[in-house]
Amino acid sequence: MDNKINIKVNINGDDYSLEVEPNTLLLDLLRNKLGLTGTKLACGTGECGACTVIMDGLTVNSCLVLAAEVDGKNITTIEGLSKNGELHPLQESFIEEGAVQCGFCTPGMILSSKALLDKNPNPTDEEIKIAISGNLCRCTGYKKILKAIRSAAQKMAC
Amino acid sequence: MLKRINKFEYFAPSTLAEAISLLAEYKGKAKLYAGGTDVLVQMKQRKITPEYIIDIKNVPELNGITYSPEGELRIGALVTHRQFAISKNVPEKFTMLKEASLAVGSVQTRNRGTIVGNICTSSPAADTPPALLALDAGLKLVSSTGERTVKICDFFTGPFKNILKDTEILTEILIPDLPENSGGIYLWHSKITEEDETLVGVGVVVSVDNLQNKVCKQARIGLGSVAPAPMRAVKTEDFLKGKILDEDTIGQAAEIAANESLPRSRAEYRKEMVKVQTKRALSQALKRIEG
Repeated sequence: MDNKINIKVNINGDDYSLEVEPNTLLLDLLRNKLGLTGTKLACGTGECGACTVIMDGLTVNSCLVLAAEVDGKNITTIEGLSKNGELHPLQESFIEEGAVQCGFCTPGMILSSKALLDKNPNPTDEEIKIAISGNLCRCTGYKKILKAIRSAAQKMAC
Repeated sequence: MLKRINKFEYFAPSTLAEAISLLAEYKGKAKLYAGGTDVLVQMKQRKITPEYIIDIKNVPELNGITYSPEGELRIGALVTHRQFAISKNVPEKFTMLKEASLAVGSVQTRNRGTIVGNICTSSPAADTPPALLALDAGLKLVSSTGERTVKICDFFTGPFKNILKDTEILTEILIPDLPENSGGIYLWHSKITEEDETLVGVGVVVSVDNLQNKVCKQARIGLGSVAPAPMRAVKTEDFLKGKILDEDTIGQAAEIAANESLPRSRAEYRKEMVKVQTKRALSQALKRIEG
């Protein structure tokens, strides 16, 4: 039962050829093998969204994805958002609006927001709430998070 | 916090025949895998410890949503809640199943989880079964020795239990056309917890003779989270047949539905909510016939 699996995957624009165990989770691959620790583990059962990454344009909970099945996929983690030392507008807005408290939900929250804005650049508050409904903030800073996403949407429209 | 899963061998077959033969070969020790949103959670909880995982996502036969000229909607085993909810292949008369798909989990769960997976997990609180019960869906089960199609009302046998054999794959859902002058809806509300599990879900399809007299030709009602398994409210359906669907009749039907539901926990509240939601669902389904 030791069939290692070879995968090719693009993470944050870089191509990787990797050998993974069948029972390695995408989350563990990112954090432990690739050192991308911006993706967080919290509940481990797909309820909290702290481990959210974008896979082929759609958000997924990386704690519920096998590394073996990401062969050929494109994955964006929070580390992939800033370009040449410049923060992504969402990251800027989260800081400006004080939408980061303990910070544990922030990477997932920002990636869910990015997936939304990539498809819908001018969302309503209701659409934003639905988009981040799978990301729980235990500091309960939702109002500021909402404000930050609205402000980022405006910035990105300019 | 749940982290680890047991060791297993991973297969990703590229044809249905291959998937079925793997399932036959590793009978009882293998688990079919698509979206992983239930299977990996069950593995983390050690509820299941499969020795083999058969990932069916590369099996092309299991893709797709098709609507036939005969009015039948076919949903392949790999169709995710998201794909279904945004699909343009789904005619408006089946909107209620989109409503049920959108009631499942969070965005992330809907991006990965499949409708067929929702059925196979057979949680009493699942959202798509009540809608599919009301739509009288058929389920195609395929194994190495043959195939059979069963009605979804004969599929569930208890909490997280069903008639699927360990050699069978549920390959597709087949939803028959609705009679003329039919309307359907799925209504639900949830516990306020981290997973927002459905507390009461009601799927309704009503068909009337004509829009003027509103005599009920047929009604099908699926209830979720109020019995050990998703159930049809058969007594309520029988009561409605042949009656004029006025406010009084709908009120009485809602009472009957509450009485025939079999909730175990929070029983009093759940029964009351079955009444409320069934009444709303019947009235709103009727409005949808009028368009």
